[in-house]
Amino acid sequence: MRMTSLSTEQAPPINVPLRFFALAPIFLILAALMLAMADGNPFENTHAPALLAATHCITLGFMAMIMLGAIQQILPVLIGSQMPVSRLVAWFTFLPLTAGALLLSSGFMLSNPVLLNFSWPLLGLAFLVFIAASLTSLARAKAQNATKISILLSILSLSVAAALGMLLARGHANGLSLPYHKLAITHISLALGGWVMLLVVGVSYQVVPMFQLTPNYPKWMTSGYSPVIFTVLLLNLLPLLFESAPFWTGFVMETLFWLLAGCFAVVTLRLQNRRRRRVTDASLNFFRLGMISLLFAALFSLASRLLPNTSDYFRTLSVLAFLLGFAMSLVQGMLYKIIPFLVWFHLFRGGANAIKVGVPNMKEIIPEPWMWRHFWLHGGTLLAALLAPLWNAAAWLVTLGLLLQGVLLGYAVLTGISVYRRTARRIEQASA
Amino acid sequence: MKTIAEFMTADHKACDDEFAVAEQAALANNWSEAEAAFSTFHNDMARHFGMEEDVLFPALVSAGGPAGPVHVMLMEHAQIKELLKQMAATVAQKDAQKYGGLSETLLIVMQQHNHKEENILYGIADHILAAEREALLGRMQAI
Repeated sequence: MRMTSLSTEQAPPINVPLRFFALAPIFLILAALMLAMADGNPFENTHAPALLAATHCITLGFMAMIMLGAIQQILPVLIGSQMPVSRLVAWFTFLPLTAGALLLSSGFMLSNPVLLNFSWPLLGLAFLVFIAASLTSLARAKAQNATKISILLSILSLSVAAALGMLLARGHANGLSLPYHKLAITHISLALGGWVMLLVVGVSYQVVPMFQLTPNYPKWMTSGYSPVIFTVLLLNLLPLLFESAPFWTGFVMETLFWLLAGCFAVVTLRLQNRRRRRVTDASLNFFRLGMISLLFAALFSLASRLLPNTSDYFRTLSVLAFLLGFAMSLVQGMLYKIIPFLVWFHLFRGGANAIKVGVPNMKEIIPEPWMWRHFWLHGGTLLAALLAPLWNAAAWLVTLGLLLQGVLLGYAVLTGISVYRRTARRIEQASA
Repeated sequence: MKTIAEFMTADHKACDDEFAVAEQAALANNWSEAEAAFSTFHNDMARHFGMEEDVLFPALVSAGGPAGPVHVMLMEHAQIKELLKQMAATVAQKDAQKYGGLSETLLIVMQQHNHKEENILYGIADHILAAEREALLGRMQAI
């Protein structure tokens, strides 16, 4: 049996994940700036360049940045297998992802084909390196558990979503004749429904019981849930790929997907209500807000099918609830656990000198009131986003909310880094 | 009969419960209850470490089990013991805020540690020590 995963010495240096976390909030600020520069209300038209640009700032520059950084850190713990050549992988995901996200967003914003043409190979490189490294790590892991299967399917979805994204960017830049609408739907459904959803499911199986001492997810859920969701997603794409597929396949599969997603949200909320650790913290509330948003995303999507007159409106709401409410809440909630823990963990390795100097505990690394402020600000931004397609003033509130969230989160991450640096220096002085 | 993994995992869960009770009382500034609950938790953690450090790990290593990972587990025990020592001091000082920060830290260190033991190490122990399992469980329970 492989035991390398149990070695703490192989944990990557702290600056590897912190690099991803420190840069991500800047993309929230950029997203806000892009929305601010839009002509009119960018939420009225889902093809508005400013909305496309801001969305990719958030999905690539903010969310993927944090998810890729965090996965490189937690995959070894969750599935018991190291990432190969972890430093190289970190650099070759971080640099091209940063440059690619900047170029793609500005390419959309300025409708500039040169920027778009530079962006997609860089993004392709970042995802290729990350996917290859994660798949190697998954292949090496001896453990066979639901988390591993979920993460594997999530990464498979990412590989197709990323490839389609590259094709779409290239097509837009060079005016290729492509079935843009179908490709975009496939890209979005695999990126959100596959990569984000299955990753959250896989990670939740482990961290929900761990952080709040809840019962484990029920067996019926962990045994087949992710493969079923993945199959439903693939079947949902059939009518897009083959004209001959019966028209109802899409409707049935989409409904099934949202029922399953809603089911995951309900099970998670119920587990959290039965938690043995009754203490509430900001991170738990980010998680709960995420699950409630997922339920709303499901309801909005079903409403869009049942009410054809307002179909586009509810579809936009569903995407907003999924992206800003579900995915972004969970990413931020996890970040507020991961950063303080990493700082504590790396400082504590200073041994006897660290204990003599005094390592700050997790709540002394990022002050809790800041996390709570961020939680309320995020909730407000989400509400504004749901009103934005109908109400121009709300679009401005979303812009302001994203800007402030970027500043607040950036401040929180930098506070964590400066606590680390200060304490590490004192530990070094004590050992001199 | 229970496997080593089942027995030790149940003991982890019991310690988790005691952790939660102590934390809730301390954060509510209910110090008489917190003191009692923390002391139960602290004692049971010490007993659990005793079962591993005095019985299970030596048996595992002498039966040809993996020494490196056992060493890592012992290092993590040392981290947890240090956190428990600091928590005991905050109980004595009745400092709820400090207790909350330390217990948050302890929870993650402890859960990560348990996860590795439950998913990897105990399975190896059940495999390598199958023949002497009953005797080992008896010796562990006697601690």
